[in-house]
Amino acid sequence: MQTIVHAIIGYFILLLVVRVLKRRAGSQMTLFEFVLIFLMGGVIILSTVGKDRSVINCTCAVMAVALVHRTLAWAKSKSATLGALIDGTPLVVIKRGEWQTEVVRGMSLRREDVEAAARAQGLTSLNEVDYAILERNGGISIIKSS
Amino acid sequence: MTQQPSTSPVDDSVPKVGGEVAVGENLPFQRRWWMFERFIWGFFLVLIVCDLLGLFGQGWLAKARATVPDGALRVDYERIERASTPSTLTLHFGPTAIQNGRVQVYISDSIVKGLGAQRISPQPAISAIGDKGISYTFAATHSPAEVDIQLQPSGVGPHAFRIETPHEPPIAASIFVMP
Repeated sequence: MQTIVHAIIGYFILLLVVRVLKRRAGSQMTLFEFVLIFLMGGVIILSTVGKDRSVINCTCAVMAVALVHRTLAWAKSKSATLGALIDGTPLVVIKRGEWQTEVVRGMSLRREDVEAAARAQGLTSLNEVDYAILERNGGISIIKSS
Repeated sequence: MTQQPSTSPVDDSVPKVGGEVAVGENLPFQRRWWMFERFIWGFFLVLIVCDLLGLFGQGWLAKARATVPDGALRVDYERIERASTPSTLTLHFGPTAIQNGRVQVYISDSIVKGLGAQRISPQPAISAIGDKGISYTFAATHSPAEVDIQLQPSGVGPHAFRIETPHEPPIAASIFVMP
């Protein structure tokens, strides 16, 4: 019982912390992100399981977290507001060839991130970019100028 | 009934509103979120500072001391404890507490049950139960004399306790156990 409650609290604490961390442009998982994942996961597991390290306890905790996750995914599909709260919304970084400075500053974006996304699309210059969109998963979508 | 494959041409998949690409951006929401982020990072910072100071136990603000007027008994403890985390409650006995080569002290049940007393050091010569607590008798020579009680609380919330030596006013205090 206690483990399940701790697991659910831990899930929401991690969700909040990960959500308020800036979306990292490029969505690539680097060593930088691995440090966060291992450390946060390792710390939260200590209070979740406590002294009861039995198979049944850990299994119930995992299932409880999966159930909460599934319920949230269902709720997100029903409510756009909840979806925006949990996942955020896409943000336009370049609109009709113009940098959106408010978004760039707010999301701590670097020019190099957008340039890398443009190169991935086979573009050699940002002048060829009509739209650049920072997606919810941190990826940058590029729409070329016609 | 078999489904027929779609033969309609694939159009531009990027929706447009008023000639501009519509991706579902919600800048008013994002601005509010950025404000929330600033608030929550401030809140996290406050939590960390409180933790460093010991407001959640295991630090400077958590340490407490209670003494009877003539100094026969002094108790060093943590007014804020953490659940399932070991700590020590120390009893210091002054010269007036030692009588006939022994020290007698009463501790309330809450120290054993609510606050999870695990071990008492040194071992008492005599333990006697009653009056909603336990009376311990230790062999003692001279002051200063100390007894350590190892605590490991499990129940979250406030736990009042009482400790006293014979012919002295009791020390009554409370320990709050954080989850």
